[in-house]
Amino acid sequence: MLLNPAPPRDPAARGRLSGALLALVILWPLFRAAEFKPGALFDSSNLKVIGHFLAGFLPPERGAEFLAYLGKATLETLAIATAGLALACVIAVPLGYLATAAGREQPTLNPLTRSLLTVLRGIPELVWALLFVRIFGLGPAAGVLALGLTYGGMLAKVYAEILESVDPAPAHALRRSGAGRLLAILYGLLPQASKELASYTVYRWECAIRASVVMGFVGAGGLGQLMDQAMKMLNGGEAASILLTFMLLVFAADGVSGWLRRALDTPPAARASPFGWRSISFLLVLPSAVIASFHWLEIDFGELFTAGAAHSIGEFVAGFFPPDLSSDWLARVGLGIWETLAISVVGTLLAAVAGLLLALPKWRAPFSFLLNTLRSVPELVWATITALAVGLGPFAGALALALHTTGVLGRLYAEALDNAPAAPGHALRLAGAPAGLSFLYGTLPGAAPQLIAYTLYRWEMNIRMAAILGFVGAGGLGQLLYFELSLFHHAQASTVIIAMLILSIAVDQTSAWLRQRLR
Amino acid sequence: MSFALDGVGLTHANGFTALSDITLRANKGERIALIGPSGAGKTSLLSVLGTALAPTAGVAEILDFGQNLRLTAGLKALRPRIGTIHQAPPIPGRQRVVTAVLAGKLGQWPAWKSLASLLYPLDVAGARATLERLDLADKLFARCDQLSGGQLQRVGIARVLYQQAELILADEPVSALDPALALATARQLAADAEARGATLVASLHAVDLALNCFPRIVGIKAGRIAFDLPAGEVSEALLHDLYASEGQTLPTLANEPRFTTLAAANDPATRAACC
Amino acid sequence: MTLSATRRLALKGALACAFASAFASSALAADAVLRVSAIPDEAPTELQRKFAPLGKYLEAQTGMKVVFTPVSDYAAVVESLATKKIDLAWLGGFTFVQAKIRTNGTAIPIVQRAEDAVFTSRFITADPTIKALSDLKGKTFAFGAPSSTSGSLMPRFFLQQAGLNPEKDFKNVAFSGAHDATVAFVAAGKAEAGVLNASVWDKLVEQKKVDTDKVHVFATTPPYFDYNWTVRGDLDPALVKKLTDAFLKLDPANPEHKEILGLQRAAKFIPTKKENYEGIEKAAHSAGLLK
Repeated sequence: MLLNPAPPRDPAARGRLSGALLALVILWPLFRAAEFKPGALFDSSNLKVIGHFLAGFLPPERGAEFLAYLGKATLETLAIATAGLALACVIAVPLGYLATAAGREQPTLNPLTRSLLTVLRGIPELVWALLFVRIFGLGPAAGVLALGLTYGGMLAKVYAEILESVDPAPAHALRRSGAGRLLAILYGLLPQASKELASYTVYRWECAIRASVVMGFVGAGGLGQLMDQAMKMLNGGEAASILLTFMLLVFAADGVSGWLRRALDTPPAARASPFGWRSISFLLVLPSAVIASFHWLEIDFGELFTAGAAHSIGEFVAGFFPPDLSSDWLARVGLGIWETLAISVVGTLLAAVAGLLLALPKWRAPFSFLLNTLRSVPELVWATITALAVGLGPFAGALALALHTTGVLGRLYAEALDNAPAAPGHALRLAGAPAGLSFLYGTLPGAAPQLIAYTLYRWEMNIRMAAILGFVGAGGLGQLLYFELSLFHHAQASTVIIAMLILSIAVDQTSAWLRQRLR
Repeated sequence: MSFALDGVGLTHANGFTALSDITLRANKGERIALIGPSGAGKTSLLSVLGTALAPTAGVAEILDFGQNLRLTAGLKALRPRIGTIHQAPPIPGRQRVVTAVLAGKLGQWPAWKSLASLLYPLDVAGARATLERLDLADKLFARCDQLSGGQLQRVGIARVLYQQAELILADEPVSALDPALALATARQLAADAEARGATLVASLHAVDLALNCFPRIVGIKAGRIAFDLPAGEVSEALLHDLYASEGQTLPTLANEPRFTTLAAANDPATRAACC
Repeated sequence: MTLSATRRLALKGALACAFASAFASSALAADAVLRVSAIPDEAPTELQRKFAPLGKYLEAQTGMKVVFTPVSDYAAVVESLATKKIDLAWLGGFTFVQAKIRTNGTAIPIVQRAEDAVFTSRFITADPTIKALSDLKGKTFAFGAPSSTSGSLMPRFFLQQAGLNPEKDFKNVAFSGAHDATVAFVAAGKAEAGVLNASVWDKLVEQKKVDTDKVHVFATTPPYFDYNWTVRGDLDPALVKKLTDAFLKLDPANPEHKEILGLQRAAKFIPTKKENYEGIEKAAHSAGLLK
């Protein structure tokens, strides 16, 4: 028998070390750029200011006039979200079908559709909304269209990915036996994917309600506009009433989403028609809700296709060309990019840590409540509060992103950890490992790919949100865009929009690459 | 004494009685095979011994520890001394083999060491030496999801060997291995237990393997002990009686008496080679 | 046979009638509505409240239905005027210049408040150590909306003349979006100093909505031309005349008119012309807000 040679070194160590160093080298300046100063949170004068503001939350405003506004705004928000999402679905279904590799014999990706989707998603709702204000004038129509386009792009991408992620064998079998691609997807993939598709769509509707806050900025109405004013005026009582309404809406949307998921889980009744009372009532409610929304918002889509509209779009768009590429301006935009990137990265990382900590406790109830609360308050509202807490600037933006994202990620993490195989952790516990270590060695590796994927997906969303947060003074590209658009400096605004687009594409690519690497 | 079960019964919350009136004692260093048809209660018995489940009747004393008391502090000290090999290796697919093996010592290492080991495996030599005994040294830095089912099962065994437990519980430890490898692996397990004076209790589906590698055989049927005999005294009639519900053939390694027959099982030469 | 023919005819007639009336009513509705908006230099709910009696008055004077659309973005008002989505708008000096440029010079300012001819902005702070504009270096500072005349452009112009560049010399520049929001920013310590229109400041002080022990004025700009009511250039001249007269007719001696003027914070309305705003246009160029 040979003597044991010296134990080999861990071949992964060098890679890990350089990865960690690289991360540090990248993250350190990003944290600097985001003006990461957690100490500011505990600054006594800041604490006093925020305490004063939050104390103003009680009692919530209950004046009849205000409640009338609130009721109208709530309906408007629901209508904007519903109409916007209906439009998004109309856009997303064909685009998703074109973009997905599912059901194809050769997994060729359709580059044209994919890049169209990237453009749709990459330009924030707000910019679309500003464009549509030209055509529809002031009012919710611009918001609906903006939501429709952005969410259409997002939904199409996710639809495509969901269809790609399910077992392709049934569709392949159908295609080999002569079925067309559409039918192969309908019969082979849709039954597997329908639940996820439906619940993602409902989830997006929930998001659309939150996104209406952003729409409020361009006069698209709804709760967002009301909230924007209340927060700007630091009117705590009104803000509290609006927030409460908002949370009720979000929780209700959550309930609907849960009800739908359960409905999808219920095995079909033993009869020929797969439609039961739930499907029928759903099929009745959905179109009427969509029609009612469009009716309530008084949207005239005919106007979109008139010569006058085409002319004013043309003129508006032409104003954006050529973009201002002078070196002075590029330098400022470059700084804006860096700051926006910093806000998104720091916000997402803080949220990942906090979300994981909040996802761990076994006794879920209080933590689910906390996470839902964090999640239902939109980033822009958090930004107003964090700006009070740490002063204006990128750190307030990063914190605002972190607070909202913690709610989202915490909930997703908790689900992922729940679904991760329990056996490895359990076995380690049996061998005497402490709970924390069993989690690190047994449970976490099983859930890690999903946690990482969620975090990176969220980062992709946050880069877009970070670009918008500048509108409330968080700096970055948003502030530049807001300023330049207000002054009708379209050539400069155009550069900023292109920068946003490039940044979000770059983040998408980086995120996809990281997901691949960390799988 | 390694463990003593006295009139132990186990009734699940749903009312199903998995074990009843089990009385079983083992001295330190004994090697016991549990055999019996599927659903007889072998896994439940191992779970009670492994402190995963508390008996609902009777008294279980494990490594001189009155386990029925369920004292957390005591359990914490007890559990690192028990190593369990699970039928489906409970190892995350993304973990590397070296980390999976080192995880065996989590109950014994100080927390800082366990944490640091996540960043850089702190006992590469120990992990490799253990894997070598199972012919897996080349997979030291592979990821577990790159392994075959049989390799993964041996990683699970390596983890428990590395743990150096005083009481090794093995639930179908070689079910995913081909007959030759199953024999070699069972031998390795038994040899390790013998060398360290550890107690080994293994549930085995293959009767021939049990008879070949274990001096003491306990037959379990319907949650009760059917017989508890030295391997040499287990007759074919007893076995047929034990497996009456599973048809005429006795379960062996892949149901192929390839390396040994029942007659040969009692052959001293084979048994020496085995253990 | 005859019966069914008559019936068909009747049906056709009814349909034609329905169509005609539908067209007529929509045409009427389009003609009879005066769409009004205002730059959101204060909370839109506040603007709506302020506008209500004026709206009623204009309805009575023009015989048209007056619809007020609240907006939360300055640029949106300019855009809407340029795309003919609104007919009459309350604009700031700078937003008027923007509107003039975006409508190729066709937008017409009709009236302004007497006060708008000598308008000023006030610099406020809650920090006792800030006593002059030069003390603002390294502080966080809140403007109103970027395209506000009194909350952004003119203060920026006068800061520039005092040798201060907001982007370089201030620690952080925020745009609160509205004048009362600027006060809230400064009072809450969100910004160390800010600037707003004198008229809104005086109103807030009068209404005791600001604690003057805490927040105080430390500088005031020289006077300049500000707000006006502007109509889009292609509006029927007769209607423009009617509107102008309606504003000019407002008489503080009349109690009903006094309420309207009070809400508009105007002693009275006076005619105005494009030339009044050339100074602002120059300031905007020199402050880099116009290219």
